[in-house]
Amino acid sequence: MADYDRRQGAGGSYNSKKRRYREDDDYDRRGPRRRYDAPPHVRVRKALIAIADNPMRPWHDEVQSIATLFTDNWDDELLRSNFVDLVLQLAVEQPLKTPFTAAVVLLANATRPEVVDMLLSKLVKGIEAKIEAGEWRDVKLYLKLLACLQGCLEGEGVFPVLEELFARAVDLQTASSEDTIGTEIVKIILLTLPYVMVAAPGQWHQKAADLMEKTEIIASEPHTLQAMIEPYHEESSEENQTPSQSLIGLLQSQLQTEANNGWALPCLPRPWEFPLGDVEQQSKLDAAPKHALPPITIPQTVVAGPRPLFPEVHFSVYANQDVESVPPVTNAAASLIRDVLVDTINILDYNRNVTARNLIDLDCYFAPRTFAARATPFDKLRDIEPPKSTWKPEDVAVDAVFSQLFQLPTPEHKLVYYHSVLTEACKLAPAAIAPSLGRAIRYLYRNSPRLDLELANRFLDWFSHHLSNFGFTWKWTEWVDDVYLPDQHPRKAFILGALDKEIRLSFAQRIKNTLPEPYKELITPEKEKETPDFKFASDDTPFAAEGREIAGLLKRKAPDEEIEAVIQRIQSQAIDREIDALVASTDVFVTCVLHVGSKSLSHVLAAIERTKDRLADAGAASDAARTQIVSAVMAYWSAHPGVAICIIEKLLNYSILTPATVINWVLLGRAGSTRGEALAHSYMYEMVFNTVMKVTGRVRQVAPKADHPQQQQPDHAMPDENAGETRELEVKAMRSLFAAIEDALVSWATGTKDEMIESNGDGETDKLVRRWAERWLRVFRRRAAIEEAFLVDAAKERARRAAEADGKANENANGEDAAMAHA
Amino acid sequence: MRGPRTTVERLDQPSAYFLNRNKRRRSDKDRRDGDEDTNMQAEQPEEDRLKNATTLYVGNLSFYTTEEQVYELFSKCGEIKRLVMGLDRFNKTPCGFCFVEYYTHQDALDCMKYIGGTKLDERIIRTDLDPGFEEGRQYGRGKSGGQVRDEYREDYDEGRGGLGRALQQAEKLSREGRDYDDDYGRLR
Repeated sequence: MADYDRRQGAGGSYNSKKRRYREDDDYDRRGPRRRYDAPPHVRVRKALIAIADNPMRPWHDEVQSIATLFTDNWDDELLRSNFVDLVLQLAVEQPLKTPFTAAVVLLANATRPEVVDMLLSKLVKGIEAKIEAGEWRDVKLYLKLLACLQGCLEGEGVFPVLEELFARAVDLQTASSEDTIGTEIVKIILLTLPYVMVAAPGQWHQKAADLMEKTEIIASEPHTLQAMIEPYHEESSEENQTPSQSLIGLLQSQLQTEANNGWALPCLPRPWEFPLGDVEQQSKLDAAPKHALPPITIPQTVVAGPRPLFPEVHFSVYANQDVESVPPVTNAAASLIRDVLVDTINILDYNRNVTARNLIDLDCYFAPRTFAARATPFDKLRDIEPPKSTWKPEDVAVDAVFSQLFQLPTPEHKLVYYHSVLTEACKLAPAAIAPSLGRAIRYLYRNSPRLDLELANRFLDWFSHHLSNFGFTWKWTEWVDDVYLPDQHPRKAFILGALDKEIRLSFAQRIKNTLPEPYKELITPEKEKETPDFKFASDDTPFAAEGREIAGLLKRKAPDEEIEAVIQRIQSQAIDREIDALVASTDVFVTCVLHVGSKSLSHVLAAIERTKDRLADAGAASDAARTQIVSAVMAYWSAHPGVAICIIEKLLNYSILTPATVINWVLLGRAGSTRGEALAHSYMYEMVFNTVMKVTGRVRQVAPKADHPQQQQPDHAMPDENAGETRELEVKAMRSLFAAIEDALVSWATGTKDEMIESNGDGETDKLVRRWAERWLRVFRRRAAIEEAFLVDAAKERARRAAEADGKANENANGEDAAMAHA
Repeated sequence: MRGPRTTVERLDQPSAYFLNRNKRRRSDKDRRDGDEDTNMQAEQPEEDRLKNATTLYVGNLSFYTTEEQVYELFSKCGEIKRLVMGLDRFNKTPCGFCFVEYYTHQDALDCMKYIGGTKLDERIIRTDLDPGFEEGRQYGRGKSGGQVRDEYREDYDEGRGGLGRALQQAEKLSREGRDYDDDYGRLR
């Protein structure tokens, strides 16, 4: 209250200096804070959260000081309970720090062994709860913490838990070859094992060997779904058909190599090891009491959890370089470092600044000398003498983000999150990160023809968005030769697509100024115009007078009858000229609506809102007329496909267009009239992809709903009487949409499309078109497969809930009977 | 709002500006441009009003940034339900802010996390969760029609009309004032 008064007093007049300077955020103008020693639980919290962040502080010092601060204040009850909770929370929120917090626990164990029992009992409950919920990443992270405590566990410690988990994996894998939970469990076991081995060095070699002998069968078998999530889509003719290696397959062989080397695992930190001089601490630690791990119950049936599981492959944009700037896939470090970085990235989506900070500082959390010095230029890596590491921390960080951005079928978060992490990393350490990003971009550009088309478009989207955050600067000169390639060449298509997206985020003149000469021609004068030309302004256009008239009527919001009169005139003229009357009038009308709304999206949306009945009637009248709506929009905004796509999306929302109209317009209409060359335009792909996502999104909304309102979740605001019927309809519509896409693309891909047979044109373009169609096909087949899998899961879930509801109903009925008996 | 305090601060929280706006209980001239003046709002717990917020206030736009550009960027977090550009109260021209409404609360939160603080049209933009657009809020509340912050800004911001408008006005007057001392005095 005092602050408030003081501020008011200082405010004085409206024009006070103070007001003028006040930014939105610094409302809080207190004097210098009085210094005081924070209570121990606050100090421990602060220190534990920041553990290992400071590279200047030796780990053993830091770990010891926190442990001492904690044990010295053992009587502070708040501190005691907070400590355990915080260790658990850090394990799942900041996994890079797990070995360090574990080391604090191990040291505290020497003075206050009770703390380990407190922690273990909560940890065990946590693991059980996460398994029950199918939160497999949290299971993995808790197990990692447990693994780091192996040194203070009685008996075999973590091993029995891992063995029991493995038993579940075997059951799942034998039951179904498409099972993904079993694969996930094996991955977790393999990723936990290395931490056990460094936490209790030298003791468990046989145990580890036994376990790995068992995991071998599951890990080395390629998963049936793997072909679908392969990031590269090689041309069928190409010889180089080596598929990416599955993550668990790699892990298994990497760990085998480690086992043969006595589990050296040089990259993992060992903050519980003290320097040779400090024998006293080390022996205290070694003599600390051991604890029994409370039993962990793993349910007989385990669930997949909220996120659908898919097999994973190892993806790197720094593969096959002449110097290893990232750990090679033969080395366990590749998987271990990647795993914890990816977890960090995906967990901390709520603060991209901290994610970026962690990525830049990643060398703080691994053993010294794991990486080359930060910001070492790539060329200088060559001068590093072995056995020193040539792994560039920036490359490792950037690689981890790209592995998520290019994750198939979909990464955990929206793609723009990964964009933002790269942007922040680049802002934090431009000199270090920018060159690494540059090399990643070159790799992806070179390989974009063989990338899965969905990923190629993600690359396009990221690239243009990234440049928009850094003044649109890129060394375009190095790709200058590709400007002269045909537009259907994948690399040229990338350039065209990227420039279009850059312009969407900025404006044509600005982007033109960032480009070297040959590129400038790619930006046509139409793109620089504020609004497109109105074709009816010229009398050469058929129906020019009528067009101008309708535009005038729309502008002054004339009543519909007046418009109808002009439409009638157009239609009768069209009949005289023997063209489709509805198509002709629809083209004029839609073009006029677009023209009237050309000033901005809200203008056009308002214009559509006012005319939506007429538009809907026109669209409903015939397929040809509906298709003409799309043609008119795409023609009017041809220089700005982004605007066209946006308008099409809104027309879909109004149900003026159907998804099938859009799909057919692209894959039959436009592709047909361009002999398939339209398939090379990224905005065509974007249009189809967005439409498909709209349809599948709708299905996903209705699929989980139970058939009858009484079975529906009480939290559904509106009970849906016809949920079952709606679902059937939506699913049917989705399937026929996918079928239509499949049909159209197959004939393009096999060259059996009439237009291709007739063309007899140059074989080179036809070959490119066939390849584009193959790439499209792969994307939408995958989408279809994923949606089918989703429907299967949703059906299971509905059945489970229905059974649950029945069970409850029976219980209630029994309860009533019992009550009656009592009466 | 959700479980125990995280060990890392969240970016999808309402800004201090929003949370403290009503605490300050200033007169209407101190509210964000276009805010509704209803006293009962001050009584409600602020966070609750944002519990299901699907709208974002977006600030620090250039006056020249178009709706299409906003759509292009903000669609990366989900389909946009409505976009309302902030306008100068008198000229009805864009004055550097807008409201973006999504279909879902999650999209709005993701936008806070992934787009707030990044660049649009080469300017760092700011986003803030908002309880929802109401008619009237699209207009600037500054004396001369734009946003309040553009009245007294002392830095030259090309994307936002140069110097603060009140300063420009004062400068203009002082130039004229050399000849008409009386008028200058009166105008102040």
